[in-house]
Amino acid sequence: YHHLLMNEKTVIHERFLPKQGSLQEMPGPKTLSNLVEFFWKDGFGRIHEIQVQFSQNNYGKIFKSHFGPQFVVSIADRDMVAQVLRAEGRTPQRANMESWQEYRDLRGRATGLISAEGEQWLKMRSVLRQKILKPKDVAVFSEGVNEVITDLIKRIHTLRSQEEDGETVTNVNNLFFKYSMEGVATILYESRLGCLENNIPEKTVEYIEALELMFSMFKTTMYAGAIPKWLRPFIPKPWREFCRSWDGLFKFSQIHVDNKIKDIQSQLDQGEEVKGGLLTYLLLSKELTVEEIYANMTEMLLAGVDTTSFTLSWATYLLAKHPEVQQSVYEEIVNNLGKDQVPTSDDVPKLPMIRGLLKETLRLFPVLPGNGRVTQEDLVVGGYLIPKGVSSLCHYATSYEEENFPMANDFRPERWLRKDNMDRVDNFGSIPFGYGIRSCIGKRIAELEIHLALIQVEKAFPSIPTLCIHLQESFKRFGSD
Amino acid sequence: MAAPGTASLLRAAAASSRRWLLAASRGAAGRPSGDCVAARTPGRFFGVSARARLSSEDKVTVHFINRDGDKLTAEGKVGDSLLDVVVDKNLDIDGFGACEGTLACSTCHLIFEDHIFEKLDAITDEEMDMLDLAYGLTETSRLGCQICLKKFMNNMTVRVPEAVADARQSIDMSKNS
Ligand code: HEM
Ligand code: FES
Repeated sequence: YHHLLMNEKTVIHERFLPKQGSLQEMPGPKTLSNLVEFFWKDGFGRIHEIQVQFSQNNYGKIFKSHFGPQFVVSIADRDMVAQVLRAEGRTPQRANMESWQEYRDLRGRATGLISAEGEQWLKMRSVLRQKILKPKDVAVFSEGVNEVITDLIKRIHTLRSQEEDGETVTNVNNLFFKYSMEGVATILYESRLGCLENNIPEKTVEYIEALELMFSMFKTTMYAGAIPKWLRPFIPKPWREFCRSWDGLFKFSQIHVDNKIKDIQSQLDQGEEVKGGLLTYLLLSKELTVEEIYANMTEMLLAGVDTTSFTLSWATYLLAKHPEVQQSVYEEIVNNLGKDQVPTSDDVPKLPMIRGLLKETLRLFPVLPGNGRVTQEDLVVGGYLIPKGVSSLCHYATSYEEENFPMANDFRPERWLRKDNMDRVDNFGSIPFGYGIRSCIGKRIAELEIHLALIQVEKAFPSIPTLCIHLQESFKRFGSD
Repeated sequence: MAAPGTASLLRAAAASSRRWLLAASRGAAGRPSGDCVAARTPGRFFGVSARARLSSEDKVTVHFINRDGDKLTAEGKVGDSLLDVVVDKNLDIDGFGACEGTLACSTCHLIFEDHIFEKLDAITDEEMDMLDLAYGLTETSRLGCQICLKKFMNNMTVRVPEAVADARQSIDMSKNS
């Protein structure tokens, strides 16, 4: 990485800060052993595990490694993480998205928020954040989300009645997957898919299968991005699968967007007033092109389903394992909300344990193992110079540090309760939705879907343990067992 | 790929629903804003006559102490957020309000005088979570995009906290000396 260090700015920096180390001096595993770890030992499947190992035992709080062939500086210290994330410019870059962009060029598609960069990204982000990121704007989705939750509860009753013991739900993650998909579709597409019905509409079955395939292939498709282009003729399969899964995802959202366009057209033809939510607004306001709408709907769906469902599964799993916590969550709901009231987002502030439960679940099992940033200027972090243009990963090991979270390995949602409104915690140690202008744009939607679902599931089934006895099976994907 | 007719269809759709469109874009697009919409709505929808009605009573003067110690003075309307004031009056505060009031960045962090701070509207959970991530936090810190102007704030002074970059610079300097 010599060439990375040889630019003018670096020289100036080095003069000013004589004691800092270069990337070459930074600790980290050798490239070859890293690749072995990654490809042969299924590095992707165990990425959480590998990261904690690296940071806690071997290399300290800042170390270099390779994500496939890509060079990454990993940062596992709360204050350094804060420093890197706060250094963001106008249009932060998360990671190298070349393979995603290549697919889009190949098919003549637009980029969405995840894959776009620079001014193009900012333009789309500015439009979307004014519709789905402010808590107040997202509160209006409560009603729609509650309809989906009603179906979820019904579905749980049905599933339980089909079991021998009449209690256990055998595949909780599958259930929450369908809930999350239905929930996000209600918000994004303004339409119901029927994922939670007993007889799922045939079209929706196809979609669910396509999407599940997409997610299950996602690991492979990540390899596709990691395999250098020149190797593709020799190992063609990952790239082919990568394209195939994107084709499926784009097709899925295009069908829904096009349906909406037809709806709007027929309403207009009949002289009706056109009313609607997010998608209707986007289509009529024309702040984004139709291709940009397809791309963003696709990427938001991809980002919004399994993230939410895994978090819900982990939360119920943790509750099942900790009956005393479950009891206190339940009591808070009954005392502060009453037994029969259907909660909306306005009620969530009355239930600090529900908020704590989500934060604690994401602290222990963040769906994404770290926040990537490509440095946009030279940065001195932890005594090392990270030149402009290097990928850094602020990773989740910080959320397991005693210093940041006493008794870090324990599940304690109450650690997030504030004594009063002046009680502040420096919590860069756990930022599961990222930070700053490129942070998760679905954060408030996810919170709404998860808070409301947890409240209602907790109310309807105060004996969660039997609900999720077979959860472990679903978590194989994390490589945590 | 896009269905061929889609784009033109939409153009037609949008054109023939212009009335709806106008109504929709008023509330949403336009400039960044905090969550003070309710307070500002009348001014927006009544247009000229409402504007004429705005007397000096509806104006609030705010002094900002910038990072370099400079004092910037600006006037805003009751109901505007402090972010609105900074944006509307083009105040030169580096990096302020990066996420346009969507509670994602904490760059709109401001420090209030005690007697004003006590009277501010209650803080939401979401603002508290973001404030936790603000740089240079004090006992009287709030996020400017969440604070809407009220009459009692007239002539208040708010301080922009030291920037991360400033802090870094001073460390660098001390290392050098
Ligand atoms: C528990 C649920 C979720 C978690 C933990 C999560 C986590 C994250 C994280 C860590 C990032 C990267 C942030 C950064 O780099 O600073 C991200 C980005 C993103 N997420 Fe989420 N997410 C969740 C749910 C959702 C949902 C429901 C949606 C869709 C509505 C969504 C859409 C996105 C998009 C579009 C981005 C890219 C934003 C950009 O680059 O501008 N996410 N998410
Ligand atoms: S402008 Fe980003 S939080 Fe206020």
